[in-house]
Amino acid sequence: MIEVTHLTRRFGKLTAVDDLSFTVKPGEAVALWGANGAGKTTAVRCLLNLIPFEGQITIAGLDVRQHSKAVRTQIGFVPQELNFHDDLTVSETVTFYGRLRKLPHGTDLTPLLTRLELIPHINKRVRDLSGGLKQRLALALALLADPPILILDEPTANLDIRAREEFLLFLHTLKQEGKTFVFSSHRLEEITALADRVLLLEAGKLVIDTPPHELERRLGWETTLHLYLPEPTIEPALQTLTHFGMPVSRNGRGVRVQVAPGKKGELLRRLHEAGIVIEDFTVE
Amino acid sequence: MRDLDFTTVFILAQKELRDARRNRWFLLYAAAFAGLSLGLAALALSGAGNYGLAGFGRTSASLINLILLIVPLMGLTLGALSLAGEREKGTLLYLLAQPVTQLELLLGKFVGLALALMAAIALGFGLTGLLIGVNGGGAQVTTYLGLLLLTCLLVLVSLSLGFLLSALVQRGATAVGLALFLWLGLTIFGDLGLMGTALILRLNVDQLFALALINPLQLFKITAVFNIRQNLELLGPAGIYAIRTYGSQLLPLLIGLLTLWIIAPFLVAIQLFKRKGVL
Amino acid sequence: MNGKRLSVGLIGLLLWLSGAWGVGSGAWGVAYALLPTPHSLQSPSIPAEGLAQAIAAAAPGDLINVQGGVYSGHLLIDKPLTLIGHDWPVIDGGGEGSVVQITAPGTTVRGFLVQNSGDSLDQENTGIVVEAPNTLVEDNRFEQTLFGIYLRQANNSVVRGNLIHSKPLDVPRRGDGIRVWYSNDVLIENNTVEMGRDVVLWYSERLTVRGNVVNNGRYGLHFMYCDDAHIVQNRLTNNSVGAFLMYSRRMIMENNTVAGNRGPSGYGIGLKDMDDAIVRDNLFLDNRVGAYLDGSPREVDSIGHFQRNVFGYNDIGVEMMPAVRHNEFMGNSFVDNDEQVAIAGGGSSAANNSWTVADQGNYWSDYAGFDANGDGFGDIAYSSERLFENLVAREPNLRLFLYSPAINTLDFAAKAFPIVRPQPKLVDERPFMTPIIPSQVPALPRAAVSWWFVAAFLLLFLALGIVQLSRLRQHPYRFPQLEKQV
Repeated sequence: MIEVTHLTRRFGKLTAVDDLSFTVKPGEAVALWGANGAGKTTAVRCLLNLIPFEGQITIAGLDVRQHSKAVRTQIGFVPQELNFHDDLTVSETVTFYGRLRKLPHGTDLTPLLTRLELIPHINKRVRDLSGGLKQRLALALALLADPPILILDEPTANLDIRAREEFLLFLHTLKQEGKTFVFSSHRLEEITALADRVLLLEAGKLVIDTPPHELERRLGWETTLHLYLPEPTIEPALQTLTHFGMPVSRNGRGVRVQVAPGKKGELLRRLHEAGIVIEDFTVE
Repeated sequence: MRDLDFTTVFILAQKELRDARRNRWFLLYAAAFAGLSLGLAALALSGAGNYGLAGFGRTSASLINLILLIVPLMGLTLGALSLAGEREKGTLLYLLAQPVTQLELLLGKFVGLALALMAAIALGFGLTGLLIGVNGGGAQVTTYLGLLLLTCLLVLVSLSLGFLLSALVQRGATAVGLALFLWLGLTIFGDLGLMGTALILRLNVDQLFALALINPLQLFKITAVFNIRQNLELLGPAGIYAIRTYGSQLLPLLIGLLTLWIIAPFLVAIQLFKRKGVL
Repeated sequence: MNGKRLSVGLIGLLLWLSGAWGVGSGAWGVAYALLPTPHSLQSPSIPAEGLAQAIAAAAPGDLINVQGGVYSGHLLIDKPLTLIGHDWPVIDGGGEGSVVQITAPGTTVRGFLVQNSGDSLDQENTGIVVEAPNTLVEDNRFEQTLFGIYLRQANNSVVRGNLIHSKPLDVPRRGDGIRVWYSNDVLIENNTVEMGRDVVLWYSERLTVRGNVVNNGRYGLHFMYCDDAHIVQNRLTNNSVGAFLMYSRRMIMENNTVAGNRGPSGYGIGLKDMDDAIVRDNLFLDNRVGAYLDGSPREVDSIGHFQRNVFGYNDIGVEMMPAVRHNEFMGNSFVDNDEQVAIAGGGSSAANNSWTVADQGNYWSDYAGFDANGDGFGDIAYSSERLFENLVAREPNLRLFLYSPAINTLDFAAKAFPIVRPQPKLVDERPFMTPIIPSQVPALPRAAVSWWFVAAFLLLFLALGIVQLSRLRQHPYRFPQLEKQV
């Protein structure tokens, strides 16, 4: 459904997205995960051909640069910042975007608006809507013409915890109805709730491409431990751990060491054998 | 171009019209234009009425002066705000995530704003025409309508230039600042500079005429004088030179150049917009 | 719904206005109706067909009444007769030569439609040629005549109340509506000349030209060598030049309305080598140049008088050649001319012409002074010193920038910073505070205004329509609450 190859986008010297390649199958939900500034939003904008980019993106068999309009008819988009025209009412906004999306005249919008619980707010102006209502409006707009693909940029950023859960549940239903999802997020719980696959971005680069249940294991590849040690034993501990090939550094009242899961025991054993007493430890 | 859909353009133009209807600046401009042209016409007519002389001829000079000042201001500032404003508010991003091409968006906005501005101009001309009619008319109603059409061309020129500025910069305030700067340049400093140059370098009449044609406001003014007088003697040797050199080709030439001033900045604006994307 | 009712109402109003102001009502019908109908039917009348025979049979001094009909061919009136037409008998020249020729003094021709002369300028093909003194040509109509009425050595003749059209040719190929040649003491009165070339009055003394209307020609009135002529209450509009007065002495031009003369020279009145001319109480409106002075007055001890004229809304109010001197301007009103007074080629005429006479100046619409003592005159002098006009005088090409907002800036700067203040063109020590409007002048015709209303309403409709456009198709979809409202 979506094919991204060698996507690169630079802003001056900064490379926001760096040689990103991935594919999304129909009905699949793919999450772009990463810290703020990792290039998630930029990647999403490239998918919609909203900004120029290098590389190739094909959606539903169409090159997004050549056929950006046809591609966009296939996509419902929920942006991170919900900037609609403030002075329009909800119904006017829905009408405007419905017309732009060539929604046939006479279409009954009651089911959609009911489903998103927007009906009581239909005559409110957009500027008077709460963050949660705006988010629901955004989703309603994205679903207007019932597109097969949904692209969501931080879809729950504007919601409180309760609303977030409801919203995710709704997205989950949509997924079960067969929509293809690409969404960006920096929240793990969102990803585990919705995604079939997670793409971890760091500084624009794709670091990990994995199903979410594998994520923990693969992420746990390196756990960081803080060991609190008596002052005189810090130096010997550094030497010992370095000797056994563990990445270690001095850190305040002890050392900081990175270990693979299941190797914590070995770490403790080595230190014990070297006669070093551990006063306390924390896992990062 | 392949994707150009006029329904989409129409929907966007409608939206722009609707925004203009609610835009305080636009309403202020429309009211100022109507009020000032009515006031000027009333002043000119009340004086001329003493002599049993009325009609459009009396008000034409002051109308041209007013149009030269206010119409480019309207077009430039509203055009400058059009893209930059939506870009700043973030609405541009969402609009372009819809099945809407950049060309359609720009065209829709242009058409909508152009229609809104023409409505403002038609309102001003309509009310003023009513006043002239009440005061005894004059034979030149066609000339009056000619001036109206030229004014519409002028507003399109300035709108197009405003769009160009809008595509250049990020922020609405910057765009409006640039628009005001350009407005001052076109209305006052360009002409002053050219007059100074003509005095110092003792420009020939053909050089002066050619250089004056660079400024679209001069283009408008020369065409408007031609429309009212059917000749350019009013404009001295340069006007007489123009008539002698171009004869019946003069009007098409002037209109053609004005049209070029509409199309060229708009095309550049589209290219800039496409290269820049929505950010 | 409301909008629709409003539209219907506006259309109704529009139609009513069109009717009220008479869309396309013929101006000609009105003009004809103004001509008095001849009405003396004491002697038996003949139809026009018998005109030549009747003249041949008549004794000098006879009255011949002509009742309608068409006389074809040229008509020679060689004995003093009085020919009175009733119901517009036609004399048709058949498109060749002149139509009527009068060679007998004391002849009267009244009430005929004279038409179809030839179109040779060289042979001066004319409607009525008068070659004898004491003749009266009155209340006739002229259609398709190259020249209308030609007085050749016809002293003491009267041309009155005629309506004259030339042929619809290019202006230079048309003939003169009225031409007066070596005919002294002639009265030209209440004639209307339209679409002709000139009205020419040459080599004739003590002429009176009164109450005529000359429209859409080349020279409304063209005098040469006509001493002591009196030009009064004529209306000269939309000609190339209103009146051009040349090489004559002691001419008086008063109470005329001269407007819209904008041809290549476009003078309301032009004076060339005119001595002791008096131009007073005239309206000069919307001409290219209100009054143009060249070599006038010519003689050293002669003075040109310009009194209580209105020079209004012209491109230039008064233009004079640099050498022009000895003119006295008093009580004139200069109203909103693009340039009130221009000296061709620049310079100052203040030293050579007087703008304040007997303690009275002129009214200037751009005078910015005040009248604190309430005597009707400004307390400080008016001086004409626009920087732009000064620049244009030095560098005429700069006139191209007329109407540019840059000009206003320039003039404002010159006022604010006296360092760039130009040399004044003229100084009027006692400017009037209010204009003086002559009362005896002929009124300008009221133009048909209906089209202005039509155009204005159409424009307002257009504006309304564009606004309505934004409301079109705003509710194509079904919403729960909207449906409830409907």
